[in-house]
Amino acid sequence: MKTEQYIDDLIRREKQTAPNPFLSTRVMAEIEKPQRSEIKRIPVWQAFAVVAGMAAVAFLGISAGNSYIDNSSSETVININDSQIENLEYYNFDNYE
Amino acid sequence: MSDEQLIYKINSSDPSAFKMLMEKYQLQVFRTVMGFVHSKEDAEDITQDIFVKVYQSLASFKGESEFSTWLYRITVNMSINFVNRNRKNRLLQSLEDIFTKPGNEKTPLEQLEESERDRRIQKAIDSLPERQRMAFILSKYEELSQKTIASVMNTSEGAVEQLLQRAKNNLQRKLS
Repeated sequence: MKTEQYIDDLIRREKQTAPNPFLSTRVMAEIEKPQRSEIKRIPVWQAFAVVAGMAAVAFLGISAGNSYIDNSSSETVININDSQIENLEYYNFDNYE
Repeated sequence: MSDEQLIYKINSSDPSAFKMLMEKYQLQVFRTVMGFVHSKEDAEDITQDIFVKVYQSLASFKGESEFSTWLYRITVNMSINFVNRNRKNRLLQSLEDIFTKPGNEKTPLEQLEESERDRRIQKAIDSLPERQRMAFILSKYEELSQKTIASVMNTSEGAVEQLLQRAKNNLQRKLS
């Protein structure tokens, strides 16, 4: 008889446990989650436009690279005369005395 | 508003109707789940999963049985699945509960004895055969009639009566 009382007492206490008052809000948020992610999903045509744009840029880059013609000759030598760059006369003190 | 009206509104894409339906039944679902898992946190998580599942499969509800019967079936099945999946974790949880139970007017020794007794009863309930446990929990935690339990479990009233009697005898034997 006492065992039955203990069982009933445990059941009574467990039945008195109240759920979180925001449980329904939690469930509603969970339900709305997939719908929100669906709205955010990028349409197929947009993804296709981006990929096509990238392909066009790559194609133009390759075309521009191929159209370059190298006119330089290996015999050409760069000759830099420092005296032409800097006016050494300026430092000639006699001229300004 | 009746269940049928609420379901009609939900199927016509009115989420506020689902909130109303949930608020109507959440306590019943939570209590039933508590009977299976004996833990508030787990019961809340399972209740949440149950209502998400109900929302997703509401379109397939034909109305051949009462909505509450259909809901109890989902509740019982999902609770049993959870218990079977988390059998090992629950042993640790029940041991943890002994030491973390909030204090009351009882002495620490009395609290420990009560926790130990609770754990033994919970273990005895959990070790009942599946159908006996279902009938016992629906009867004791939800105080459903044998007729309602029979329709939830898809069986006859006589079979429910037998299951309840066996569950009672088994518990007495295990706890004596």
